[in-house]
Formats: sequence, structure tokens, C-alpha cells
Amino acid sequence: MTLEAALGQVLSGISLGMVWFLIAAGLSIIFGTLKILNLAHGSIYMLGGFLCYQVTSAFSHVPGVFWLALLVAPLVTALVGGCIEILLLRRIYGLDMIYQYLLTFGLILIVGEVCKIIWGAGYNTVAVPWPLNDTVNLFALSFPKYNLFLIGMGVLVFVGLRALIGATSLGAVVRAVTHNREIAGALGINVPRVYTGVFMLGCWLAGLAGTLTPPMSVVALGADVSVIIDCFIIVVIGGLGSISGAFLGSIILGFTTAFGLYIIPKLAVAFGFILMIIVLIIRPRGLMGVSD
Amino acid sequence: MAEIRAKPPWLHARALRSVLISIIFASLIALPALIGKSWLNITIEILIMALAACSLNLMLGYTGLVSFGPAGLYAVGAYTTAILLTRFKMNIVPAMIAAPIMAAIVGWAVGWVCVRRTKVYFALLTLAFSQIIWTIIFEWYAVTGGDNGIVSIPTPEFFFPIVNSYYFCLAVVGCCIFALWRIVNSPFGRTLQAIRENPGRVEFIGVNLKRYQLAAFILSSIFLGIAGSLYCVFSGSAFPDFAHWTKSTDMLVMCLLGGLYRFSGPLVGSAVYTMLAKTLSKHTMHWNLILGVTVVLLVLLMRNGVMGFLSERLSRKKQARPCA
Amino acid sequence: MRSLVKTVIVLGLGFVLAGIPCANPAPAASKEKPIKIGFIHTMSGAMSMYGISSEAGAKIAVKEINAAGGVLGRELELITRDDKLSAETGLREAKDLVLTEEVDFLTGTISSAVALAISSYVEKEKKIFIVNISQSSQITEEKWNPYVFRINTNAVPYWGYAPAIALGKTWKPKKIISLGFDYECGKNSLAAFKEKYLELVPDAQIIDELWAPLGTTDFTAHIAKIANSGAEALFLACVYGGGEIAFTKQAFAFGLYDKMKMIQPCAGDVETWSDVKQGDPYPKGALATCRYPFWAIDNPKSKAFVEEHKKMVGFSPSYGAMNEYVAIYALKKAIEKVGAVDTEKLIKTLAGIELDTFVGPVLLRAYDHQAMMPNWYGIIEFTPDLPFPHITNPQIIGEEGYHTIEQIKNLRK
Repeated sequence: MTLEAALGQVLSGISLGMVWFLIAAGLSIIFGTLKILNLAHGSIYMLGGFLCYQVTSAFSHVPGVFWLALLVAPLVTALVGGCIEILLLRRIYGLDMIYQYLLTFGLILIVGEVCKIIWGAGYNTVAVPWPLNDTVNLFALSFPKYNLFLIGMGVLVFVGLRALIGATSLGAVVRAVTHNREIAGALGINVPRVYTGVFMLGCWLAGLAGTLTPPMSVVALGADVSVIIDCFIIVVIGGLGSISGAFLGSIILGFTTAFGLYIIPKLAVAFGFILMIIVLIIRPRGLMGVSD
Repeated sequence: MAEIRAKPPWLHARALRSVLISIIFASLIALPALIGKSWLNITIEILIMALAACSLNLMLGYTGLVSFGPAGLYAVGAYTTAILLTRFKMNIVPAMIAAPIMAAIVGWAVGWVCVRRTKVYFALLTLAFSQIIWTIIFEWYAVTGGDNGIVSIPTPEFFFPIVNSYYFCLAVVGCCIFALWRIVNSPFGRTLQAIRENPGRVEFIGVNLKRYQLAAFILSSIFLGIAGSLYCVFSGSAFPDFAHWTKSTDMLVMCLLGGLYRFSGPLVGSAVYTMLAKTLSKHTMHWNLILGVTVVLLVLLMRNGVMGFLSERLSRKKQARPCA
Repeated sequence: MRSLVKTVIVLGLGFVLAGIPCANPAPAASKEKPIKIGFIHTMSGAMSMYGISSEAGAKIAVKEINAAGGVLGRELELITRDDKLSAETGLREAKDLVLTEEVDFLTGTISSAVALAISSYVEKEKKIFIVNISQSSQITEEKWNPYVFRINTNAVPYWGYAPAIALGKTWKPKKIISLGFDYECGKNSLAAFKEKYLELVPDAQIIDELWAPLGTTDFTAHIAKIANSGAEALFLACVYGGGEIAFTKQAFAFGLYDKMKMIQPCAGDVETWSDVKQGDPYPKGALATCRYPFWAIDNPKSKAFVEEHKKMVGFSPSYGAMNEYVAIYALKKAIEKVGAVDTEKLIKTLAGIELDTFVGPVLLRAYDHQAMMPNWYGIIEFTPDLPFPHITNPQIIGEEGYHTIEQIKNLRK
């Protein structure tokens, strides 16, 4: 393998991983704090993609419309998340896991069908925004600028999240509620509001991922179901509830997918599940998760 | 204050229950004379899914093990029979008997790994294994036919008239459900329920928790394998989607719909779910939306399912007014 | 309050279930019984565009025929079902259509798995099944039975022989790399392409074969590998739909369309690219095959069909719509020739019949019931007269694109 080839694979793996990280981080935070396994997280991601398309096509005469979409779409998905949390999820906290699983599964069906009704069944495209519609030359490899931008966004969000949760007082509140809901409540923290906030943050992240993907891909139905399993794998490997774990897990899965091409293409699909099983057996809290 | 009743309440309920079961059984036997071919088709499907849901509930409702991957074992049963009938041209009887045996072996291997962990980790392990089974079926084109599945499975002439298929299914499903009934009402079954209620305490009284959980997993796999094998013979085909996690959610929804904590729950749930799916998908292209809303409403408002709701109502009627 | 809601739900469920026997209204006694055609396609999810388009094509034909008096004085009735891209669901719907609705014919399907499942079912039930999109050559070759007909091209010409022949007439690259979706269609299409191309250009080589899981939309890692492979040309095996758009965007971003020759069979099908405008990434300069280049067909009937389809569903017709249109008219022709809806006689009449298509008569070959539908090929570009990218200077490949009867005989052994 030449240097260019290796570099190409490494960068592809990381840029793929970064989009996954955004979704998985949201999933992980939601599980860590709310203790809910949100199957519908992929649906929020897909909704973000459709909203991105909606904004870019409705305001296509506005220059830099993609950046507008990047601002607006995640906010809308965060709002949708807020509604879901207040109206539905609040009633099932503390219940058996099966009910959470089935409720969020019901949400997958509902959100998917609503997207189909509003946006139809075809493929929708979003253009790569200026100034990223170009390639960069790294040694003899030309790599798209937009993918480098994705990598940058992933790192930025990772640093931002770590700072938010780890270094701000708001983050301290979230950490307190994650650690022990009862005592946090007893200390006067408005736990339901924190729960809503965290869920909205998770949905904002999923919406962000959904908005960042379309320029390099396509907006279509079915993304909700296909992405959620990959994110489960990442979150398990990294550790449920850990942002750094989600980051590490995304990079690992991105690498195995990229390099799996060279080694055993046939089994590439199963790699993720095998890794997931190994982690669950040897170290169920994942690489960086907190022990339960 | 304890109420003193003239007759022990359970005697009354048991008599009522026996009558009800006899009526249902009699109508099931007489069904071919009453309804047409296509309804018989649907009833066979309901019976098979009822068996699958009931097997799942052995783990879910009775042992408290939430599995996200019953479809994997169901598919193992289906594909075992399918491959033996097509590739090895085996006779139908050994081909069908091999299915639960294979499912038991796979269930033992998968279950042994999964019960090492609890709750959400257990569930995620079952999901991962079921997806691996799906991947193997999808990729191993030479043996399983890959994404095309296995079609035109040679079934004996006996099954061609649908009435014969129906009675065969009824007999097999009936025996399996009877067996499951005996299992849950045996000391073993009661231990499982104790494990569901309070695993810690059960361990303290000297019960090997993991062994019982694994046993429940294997038993569940056996009956799931039988259901899969039946469906394969009945539909003459086997597809990778039999193992997909969305099929597992179908089974979970059936259990929830009927009621997790009653034996009849999954049976009723599978009937209601299948009928709803059939009627609604004919009249609307938005069946997914209706199913999604139904599931959400069930979880929020009717967690004990139809049977849970009905038994609540009936027991409320029977309660004598408490003394002031 | 809560128990009231619960009661309502349970009563509601009971009501729906009780209403089932009443759900199927008795047919109008006064009119002649209609000829029922069961239409099974993917009407939801990622591939639903093809289902909706095919249904429109069938509906247009049914409307026209009924307006002209029907077939043998009987109206045609189309009953649509959704197979949800699942063979299990498709088979179930087929059974329901045959047993409950008592349809006379079945048609449709995009997924080859669904087609194969229904194909084995109709053999038992003795009903004619006309495939309009499903590509797998097995349907009319290894796994064929006399009740199955296909009015569409199949994977052999579309994904294999036609691009090979086209490539042999144009660029003739010696070092080719391939990328395909990892399932039966992908594998078979690459095999067919290799077979034909190496026959035409014996010193050519397929230097590597890359596979991606079916349905993937991220090919960055594959593209990076392709860009560094040293190949002159890339052949896409069965990468279509959303995956293809994603691939094109990513490959365009890597500059792949400028670096190597691209053979992208599916790029010619307009329904995928109708949303793409000048300035967007598109399969620039790629060699593509197309199954219904309606902009290049100078036939007033075709133009009217395109307009009618656009009115009905809001987008231009896919080849699936055209195929269904031809299929329904073929049924009409055969039924009128036989004088009755007699399946066995209809099979004999349909085998070898001449189909009335927008490009003249096309043979429905008797040996395998495969219509010799033409494939067009050309280079993808934008032209000033159309807003979407399409094949330019289309050339036609007809019967030579298909497996010969000899080849099929060998496969069926």
C-alpha cells in the first residue's frame, strides 16, 4: 500500500467516523443521562437531512444557503426532540427497557412515514457548499475539502462537548443528574428540565449530522434504520454515556470499515457486530464508559 | 380486611377458563368448514406467529430476559428445514425435527454468551447475535441463497390442500403451546418467574441463576425454531429477513399488544396484530404510521396489553366491595 | 379517565376486527366481472419511486383500454399491493391477491428476491406473472417456469453485455477496476460484463473487484482505493438509486470522473438524475446504458405517455412505467387473440408474441419468455435542450445483448 493509498484510507475512515460520532455522541449522552436507549435517534438524523434539503431548496437563491441550513435544521430537530421528550418520554422513565425500546421503535415508524408524506419517496440532493467544493492535494492524493471539513467539524464538536459537560456549571449540573438523579433533585436541580435539555442536545447533534451528510451523499428514506445499528455498535464499543468513548468508537469503526476493504471485504459487514460482542463480553462498560 | 367469599374465586375462574379454551379449540378444529381459503391462510400465519410470540414470552414475560433477537433463532429453524429439504433432499419429518435441534444448539451457544450480562447489555448482545445470523444468511450465498432466499421448497403432496396444512399446523402449534403451558406451570416455570421478580433473592436460596436463564433461552429457541420451520414449510420459502431485527420487533409488539404477563397474551397479540396488518395495509399506504401510533399508545396507556386490560376489568367486577 | 381511554382502544380494535368480514364489498352484479390484475411493487421506502412510476404506467394503460371499451367487453381492474422490498411480504401479498381478490394475472416487482418468490408461487397456482423491473437473469433462465414473463431488459444486457459491447466499440480500456453492491445482482452483473468484454478485448484485465454492502451510501474508502489503483477505467456493478447518487457525488469530489473512464450503466436512467442541475455533481463523461430515453424517442404516443405520467405523479416516467404500459397492452392483445381469459392458452399466445412498444415491435422470445427490450448506450452529458444529465448520441443494442438460447439451455441443465 502506498503512502497516498494509506493516507486516503485513513482520512476516509476518519471522515466517515466523524459523522457517526455526531450521531453516536447524542445517543450516548441520552443513554448516559436519561438511561433511555433511543432507537428513534436515526430518525432524527434522517429528519435533519430532509430539513437541510428543504432549506437549501426553498431558499436556493440565497448565497450560502447551506450554512443557513446548518444553523436552522439542527435547531428544528432539537425542538422536535424537546416535544418528544416532554410529551412521550417523560411518561416512561423508570419503566422496563422493553417499553422504551418499543416506544422509540414506534417513533421510527411515525417519523419515517411523516417524512415520506411531506417529502415524497424520491432522492433529494444538496449541493456541496462553496468554498468546499474542491479538492486538496496531500502528497499525490487529492482529497475532497468537504471531507476534511467533516473531520474538522467532528473534532470541534467533540472538544465543544467535552468543554460543555466537563468545564461549565451547566455541564456540572448534567453530570450531577447523570450520577445520581435523586440526590441532584434533592439539591434543588430541576431534573425534568435537565432531562429535556439533554435530550434536545442529543437531537441537535443528530440533526447536525443529518445536515452535514447530504452534500456528500443523498437524502432518502431508509437512512433511519440503516444508521441506528452502526451507532449502537459505536456506543457499545466506546461505552454508553461517554463522549470520548463515542469519539474513539467512531474512529475505530471508521477504520475497520475503511481497512476492512483491504483485508476481508466479505466479513466487513460483520466486523462491527463481532467487535460489539467482544466488548460486551470482556468489558461491557466499553472502552471509556462508567461502570454500572 | 379480607373478604370472605362463598366460593373460592380461583375455582370459578378455572371453570370459566376451561369452557373458554374448549370453545376456542372446537372452533379452531371446525374452522375450515366455516371460512374460506384465504382466511385459513391467515389463520395458519396467526398460529405460527402465536407460537413464536409465546416462545419469546417464556424469556420476556416469565423470566424477565428482554431479548431483541428472537428472529435469529426463528430464522435458524426456518433455514435448517429449508436447506435440508432443498439441498439434501431429506424427508419432511427429519427435516422438521432437525430445526428445533439446530435452533437449540445455536440458542445454547448464543445464550451462553448473552446470559453472562444483564439487562441492557444482555439485550444488545442478543441484537448483535441476531444481526450476525442475518449477515451469515445474507452472505453465504452458496448455502442459503443469499438475498434471494430459498424458494420453491419441495413439500410433500400432503400439504398442498390448504386444509391439510392447517390441521398439521394446528396440531404442532397446539402441542407446543401445551408444552409451554406445562413448562410455565411447573416448578421450573415458577423459578423463572421468581428470577424475574427478584434475581438476587433467588440466588440467595441457592438457585444457579445463569443455568436457569440459559435453560429458558434454550427452551425459547427450540420453540422459535419449530415456528420458523413451520413457516418455511407453510410458505415454501425462507428469506434473510426472517432474522432481521425488525422481525424481532414484530414479535415483541405482539407480546406487548396481547399482554406480557399472561400466558394467553402473546396468542391474542399475534391474532390481533396479524389481522390489523392484513386489513389496514389493504386500505391505506400508511400502515407504518398507524402501527407506530398504535405501539406508542400501547406503551403509554395499555402496558399490560389486551389480556391484561381484560383481566383487570373482570377482576374488578368480581371484587366485593370492601367493608367500610 | 385512563380506563376510559383503554376501553375505547379495545373496543376500537374489536370494531376493526369485526369489520373484517364486511371489508370486501360484493362486486356490482349489473356489470360484467372485471379482469383483475394484481400489481405488487415497492410502494414505500427507498425504492418506492419505481413502484409509484410503474403503477402510473399500468394505470394509464388500464384507463386507455377501459375508455376504449375494455377487453372482450370486460373492464380491467388494477389492485395495488406494497411488497415493502421484502420477499416475505411480497409473497404474502401475492397469495392474498390470488386467494382473496381472485386476480387473473400478477405483475410488477423490482426486487429480484420478490420476483423469484412470486414466480415459484404462480407455478403452483397457475397464474401468469409478468415482471416489469426485477433484473436477475435467474428469473427467466435457471429458475424459470412457463407462467413467468419478463417485459424489461435483464441484468445480462443491462448490467453486463451491453456496457461491455459499448465499451468494446468506444474506449477499449485494458486495466479495469470494478465496484459493486455485494449481492447476487452485483456479482452476476460483473461476471457477465467480464465474460463479454474479455471476449471482445482479450488482453484486458480486471485488476481488482471491490464490494460494498447493499444500500451503503458512503464510498469514500472505496473511492480512495480506486483512485490509487492505477486502473484506466471503473465499472460500477449494480450500484443504483440513492447509493449511486452518493457514489457520484463522492467520486466527483475526488475528481474521479476526470482521472479515469467511468462505466456507469445505471447513470442513463433519468429518474435517478432528474433532480440534478447544471453545476451539481453528475456522472460526467460516463458511459451509461438507458432503458427508456424518452427525450430521444420521436413517437407521439411516447410523448403523450410522458405527459400523462407527469400529470399523474409529478415526475417523468421510469422505464418501469413504460414496461408496465407495454405489458398491460400485451395482455389485452393476447386475451383478444385467444378470446377468453384462459391461462394455458394465453401462455402459448404470449410466447413469441410481438409487443407494441414506443420503438416499434419487439419480440417476446418464446424459449425464456424474455422480451428482447432494447438497451440504449451513450456518454452522459448536459445538453442545452434538457435540464437533467442524460446519454448523448444514443446507440441501440438489441437482441445481441441477451444470452442466446444455447447459453440458457446450458444454464438450465
